[in-house]
Amino acid sequence: MLEAILNGLGGLVAGFQALALDWRSIIMLVIGGILLYLGIKKDCEPLLLVPIGFGCILVNVPLSDLMAKEGFLRVIYDAGVDTELFPLLIFIGIGAMTDFGPVLAQPSTFLLGAAGQFGIFLTLLMALFFGFTKLEAVSIGIIGACDGPTAIYVTSKYAPHLLGAVSVAAYSYMALVPVIQPPIMRAMTTQAERATVMKYKARPVSKTTKILFPLVITILGGLIAPKGLPLLGSLMLGNLMRESGVVSRLTKASENEIANVVTLFLGLCIGATMSGAAFLKPQTLIVLGLGFVAICLDTVCGILFAKGMRVLSGGKINPLIGAAGISAFPMAARVVQREGIKYNKKSYLLMHAMGANAGGQVGSVIAAAVMLSVLAGMGIIS
Amino acid sequence: MEMDNTTFGLTMLICGMGGTLLTLWIMSLVMTVLGRLFPEKAEPKKEG
Amino acid sequence: MSDEVLAPMPGKITKILVKPGDDVLEDEEVLVLEAMKMDNPIFAPSNGKVKEIRVKEGEEVDVDHVLLVIE
Repeated sequence: MLEAILNGLGGLVAGFQALALDWRSIIMLVIGGILLYLGIKKDCEPLLLVPIGFGCILVNVPLSDLMAKEGFLRVIYDAGVDTELFPLLIFIGIGAMTDFGPVLAQPSTFLLGAAGQFGIFLTLLMALFFGFTKLEAVSIGIIGACDGPTAIYVTSKYAPHLLGAVSVAAYSYMALVPVIQPPIMRAMTTQAERATVMKYKARPVSKTTKILFPLVITILGGLIAPKGLPLLGSLMLGNLMRESGVVSRLTKASENEIANVVTLFLGLCIGATMSGAAFLKPQTLIVLGLGFVAICLDTVCGILFAKGMRVLSGGKINPLIGAAGISAFPMAARVVQREGIKYNKKSYLLMHAMGANAGGQVGSVIAAAVMLSVLAGMGIIS
Repeated sequence: MEMDNTTFGLTMLICGMGGTLLTLWIMSLVMTVLGRLFPEKAEPKKEG
Repeated sequence: MSDEVLAPMPGKITKILVKPGDDVLEDEEVLVLEAMKMDNPIFAPSNGKVKEIRVKEGEEVDVDHVLLVIE
């Protein structure tokens, strides 16, 4: 009788014993707490950090088996992350939110969206240098797309063990764009370049063009890089629904209800990949470091590219808009506008930067798609 | 068919950057063409 | 000599910070234009007096719309 009671009580303290023996879980509980703190108190991407932080705490309570077979989080993970469904559903919402008007009005800014992706490939090289395998390097480089769903899509497919680190890096650096970019923008440009006024030439865009744009881009992009069609297609589906104007209920559902539900589940799942044993490795730190470098390189390449365009255009382009060629929409464009007006009160770069930014949104998807198709071409992935 | 990491990295750099730039360039051309083919009517109806 | 302040991009006037007859200095904020969900300050192009305000708060303007005249 006494022994039975003791054994029964033992079941209640087993969790504490396991926690005392496992320092990694303790650290991860603290990290989960920090993520929650950043989300709740510092208002840093709370929509993501709150579920991620809580998921991280859940999975690091010992013996809870939430990520074991049939566990609560495992079921969601298998259904949405393993199948890559969640990032794609989010992309429909992003497409529904994005206005490609500014880029259609001035298609040349679209190219800046390509330059803003060069960090991906440079970082990939560096990751290889640090000894990561090919597919791991691809997943780390993709942080440079500065786009959470793209990074999750690629990583969950080719290096799922890095998912926690890669997505935390992608989302936190995205939130830090207004902090990371301005010093680079200042360092890379001269006062005269920064003060360049760019006139916004309003070329009105017809509704037909806006509707045909997502269709043509989908087919063309799909033909060039079929491996990335799920990403590009879902983004453009959302945009077609938006621009068609006839399915506002679906558009609203995609950008609100569906995106919100999926964000919750996706965040929880990312947190759930952050178990102590998987996350507390030196390579996590390297991933975080490389991700940071990737976003800096994006900014550098974008500005250099814009400087090239400035020369070709005879000095009409303000190189600051190159910094907006990343996917963080519309944050990067706003950063450019805010910086531009600091140097010249008559300078309004917003619309140009929005063009580059929308280009960056498509550019990050295209970069991922091109990368996957090149990998498939080389026979590294099937 | 295992290739060394340097070859792999440089190939990705060239094909990746080149492919991305080329794709977006083609797309920007397509957008220009679309804009020309379907210009906004002279008298646009104001929305909202 | 009068200076017209033109809308640098399409958007909505959310705030007018001056009245006709006010003296303004160059680079002083005179209006707020909301474009792409971002509030953008519009600054006076030169020193002078506000002669006329051609927009109302809440008005949607297109690019190059005359917002106010300074002389």
